[in-house]
Amino acid sequence: TAVQAEELQSSEGEWIPAACWHNCGGRCLLKAEVVDGIVKRVKTDDTREDSPDNPQQRACVRGRSQRQQVYGVDRLKYPMKRKHWEPGGGNKELRGNDEWVRISWDEATGIVASEIERIRNKYSNRSILVTGGDIGRALNLVGGHVGTWGTTSWGSWRWGPAYFGLQEGYFEHSINDRMDLRNSQLIVLWGLNPAWSSPGSPTYNFLQAKKAGARVIVIDPMYSESAELLGDEWVPVHPGTDHALMLGMAHTLIEEDDPDSNPLIDWDFLKSCTVGFDQEMMPEGADKEANFKDYVLGTHDGQPKTAEWASEISGVEAGVIRRIARDIASTNRVALLTGWAPARIKNSDSWPQMFMTFGAMTGHMAQPGRMTGVSCHFGTGNGGPRLVMGGGSGVPPGAENDVSDSLVHAEMWDAILKGEYTAGYNDKRDIDIQMIYHGMGATLQTRDGQSKGIDVHKNVEFVVTNGHFITTNAKYSDIVLPATTPWEREGGFNVGNRDALFYYRNVIDPLFECKDDAQITTEIGMKLGFTAEEVYGDVSPRQQLFNQIAGAQVINKAGTDYEPLVTITDKDITEWGVEGEPQKGRITVSELEEKGVYQVERKPGDNYGYIAQEAFRKDPEANPLETATGKLEIYSEALAEYVKGIGFTEIDPIPTYNPATEGYEDTYKNFQAKEKGDYPLQVINPHYLRRAHTIFDNNPWLREAWPNDVYVSTADARERGVKSGDTVVIESKHGKTLRIAHVTERLIPGTIGLMHGAWVEMDEEKDIDKAGSDNILTGAIATGQAISGWNSTICDFRKWEGKDLKLDKLWEPRTV
Amino acid sequence: MGQMGFYYDLETCIGCKGCQIACKDKNDLKTGELFREVHDFEGGSFPSPYVDHVTISCNHCDKPKCVENCPTGAMHKREDGIVDFDHSKCVGCKMCMWSCPYDGPVYLKEEGKVAKCDFCKDLLENNEDPACVSACTMRAIDYGDIEELKEKYGTNQSIRYFPDLDITKPNIVVKQKSR
Repeated sequence: TAVQAEELQSSEGEWIPAACWHNCGGRCLLKAEVVDGIVKRVKTDDTREDSPDNPQQRACVRGRSQRQQVYGVDRLKYPMKRKHWEPGGGNKELRGNDEWVRISWDEATGIVASEIERIRNKYSNRSILVTGGDIGRALNLVGGHVGTWGTTSWGSWRWGPAYFGLQEGYFEHSINDRMDLRNSQLIVLWGLNPAWSSPGSPTYNFLQAKKAGARVIVIDPMYSESAELLGDEWVPVHPGTDHALMLGMAHTLIEEDDPDSNPLIDWDFLKSCTVGFDQEMMPEGADKEANFKDYVLGTHDGQPKTAEWASEISGVEAGVIRRIARDIASTNRVALLTGWAPARIKNSDSWPQMFMTFGAMTGHMAQPGRMTGVSCHFGTGNGGPRLVMGGGSGVPPGAENDVSDSLVHAEMWDAILKGEYTAGYNDKRDIDIQMIYHGMGATLQTRDGQSKGIDVHKNVEFVVTNGHFITTNAKYSDIVLPATTPWEREGGFNVGNRDALFYYRNVIDPLFECKDDAQITTEIGMKLGFTAEEVYGDVSPRQQLFNQIAGAQVINKAGTDYEPLVTITDKDITEWGVEGEPQKGRITVSELEEKGVYQVERKPGDNYGYIAQEAFRKDPEANPLETATGKLEIYSEALAEYVKGIGFTEIDPIPTYNPATEGYEDTYKNFQAKEKGDYPLQVINPHYLRRAHTIFDNNPWLREAWPNDVYVSTADARERGVKSGDTVVIESKHGKTLRIAHVTERLIPGTIGLMHGAWVEMDEEKDIDKAGSDNILTGAIATGQAISGWNSTICDFRKWEGKDLKLDKLWEPRTV
Repeated sequence: MGQMGFYYDLETCIGCKGCQIACKDKNDLKTGELFREVHDFEGGSFPSPYVDHVTISCNHCDKPKCVENCPTGAMHKREDGIVDFDHSKCVGCKMCMWSCPYDGPVYLKEEGKVAKCDFCKDLLENNEDPACVSACTMRAIDYGDIEELKEKYGTNQSIRYFPDLDITKPNIVVKQKSR
């Protein structure tokens, strides 16, 4: 009631560090003020003096809205069953449209267990697909399950770079740390927009580098908020043509370089640290003609990769290509930073190697102010190993999975429909999936080819989802199981940027009948005839949390090794009721419990700085890389072999340009004659501050703040008679979706910006989505190293003649 | 006691709307109710576009029309210059909303009354910063005595996208992008 609300607002509560656990690309401190077991409001980091060197880890728009998530009216409250479900599925076509009926936990776990048994007996364990979560712990006790894999967010940065000598950018980094970024005179942001994709401190860190004097060039199809804040120049480029653009830049350097009068290429670096650049530098046994320089010059294929050639593909003027190439090559200290987005392109397996090659040619690697590599997610503008980290929980590993089959994300919906998947080079295998368990994640929403995914979900015999809401996964399920959020659990650590470690503890009791995923898995395992210990071990949640605290480590003062973070006394161990040993650390348990963060104090020139591959550059013979030759491989047979072995498409050992499937060239019926085809526009899927991938899409405060319009360029809109505010239908060969148009000058004409992660809302009669779901437009097309190539999608749009869309903030929540 | 005011660095604002959400959380607001709102403005033309963001709440004006036109005295100016409201006196007539050129006052449907930014006066009493200020990941919002803000950040003759400042004399200092 209003009176109670008034009382709640006027009472002083306890501030508890609360998890902000999302896969958003950042990590920050969130605290919840709890009064009588209810969260009254949240705040962010006020635990330290705020300064550019040591900023507070402030939460973004999404973290600040989290009460609307945890307390959402549409939270799943009880286990639910699809009304017309029956063993074997019943009328499976009703999935997605059926009514929901509340059932007990006993009935729900009983149904799941009996369907597992029925399906493995009728078919086999190879018919049970798990897309995420820890349900495998239960399933592996009865013979295992099929899994899924792919490059996800990384695109072609996921597996390839290990073969040619750079890092993938999430677990390890090829770029220097944020303090060193201030030494760069020129920063190139190639396809990254930290202002939207890396919440928390990264954009603020970039601002410090800018204030320290760096010029910034932004290369991106969209004039992003990062371009507005940081950019001295914006270079608009057609999506997926970055590789061609960079070849044009490389050609410029090769053409214009003169070691004496106009040194643009760092020959010393190429000779000492790389293989494959020219005939003289080819690795032993390789065909000398197959070198990179001759490819760029067109010596053997008759096609020089000139700035003009690159311009025709990338849309960047030849003069600009040459100017940028010279600018980068003739500036002393340059940071060449790229996000994963330009690599989320079908056929882009050679792009990361191209990026490395240009970095190597210009020598902007492995020295202060000089770096070349991935700058995104936790490592945005701040490379290097973690300075502080949590310990392990002590939960024993589960039983082994006896099923070895694993489906590639970009192929799996098609593979399930066809009954055959690609297991490797010339290796196709039969598959007959009849059950899908979505333990966590948003697989049906976030994997390529969603229309086929929905078909799959209407075909198999059983689908179950653990979740917080009627998400896309849940919507097309038979049984949905309400899971707790981390606010309702015991606690733990969240890691993010290397400087800080975030600790969270229990904020509120589980809402309604929600249970932890671990508990759900345990109860299903028990229904399958096992004990709780057999499923999950016997480490209590309290002991798990304590183990993580006791095992937390922080870099020592010299920056050479790690030491315990938390001091633990006998009294702590008694109070917690756990087993453990006292230890000496930096902070007390109660300080950790109160602050919720430990941040390593930084200053320029301290012992915690990071220059990627520094030792390698200084002495490459003594400190070889983990590649076949120990060098950066501009020619990499290992990379070509690896990609071939996956079984989809092949590449050359040197970074040649391979046009993307459904990329820029495919927008033409005839590229030479410049005749456009049926899908003349390209789609990019920017990460959008309304959501962290799919999470928060239903959050009313964020729906109001970020309406999820589709961005279309003024030129394309004018051609189609579309104005801002018009409802448009966007159509690819794989599906159709509606959105309200935001007509903008901020996009390169020929490209639309459909924001990533909206929850599909099918109008089944018209076979059209109303939510702007990105994957309704993508097909199940696998290439290279199993790339999910979302940013290579082509489409057209037109004014929608049907009923105008209502703003998302006015949509009814999916309350059950 | 002086006059409280806000400072906005719109050169640094990235339009994330974090301040807008932190304000909603602090004041427990529903959809359609915004005490602070971030507006986006795009301009220029390809390939030289620009985008501006403006965060705005009540400006706690020197000559607040909302106070001037409030028939019940619910809307009032405190000694520290904060324009505050008294719900025991508010009859929900919306005169203040009609009077304000900045959409400061907001009608709360459920209560049938008007409310608005009160500068997080309860937080100020505890020596804490207003929710929007401590929320900003770009450190683009500051607050304090308006004379001190002017001394530190300068003054505005006019502010892009804002109505004429002479109408109500808003207590804000804005750093604008040069265009």
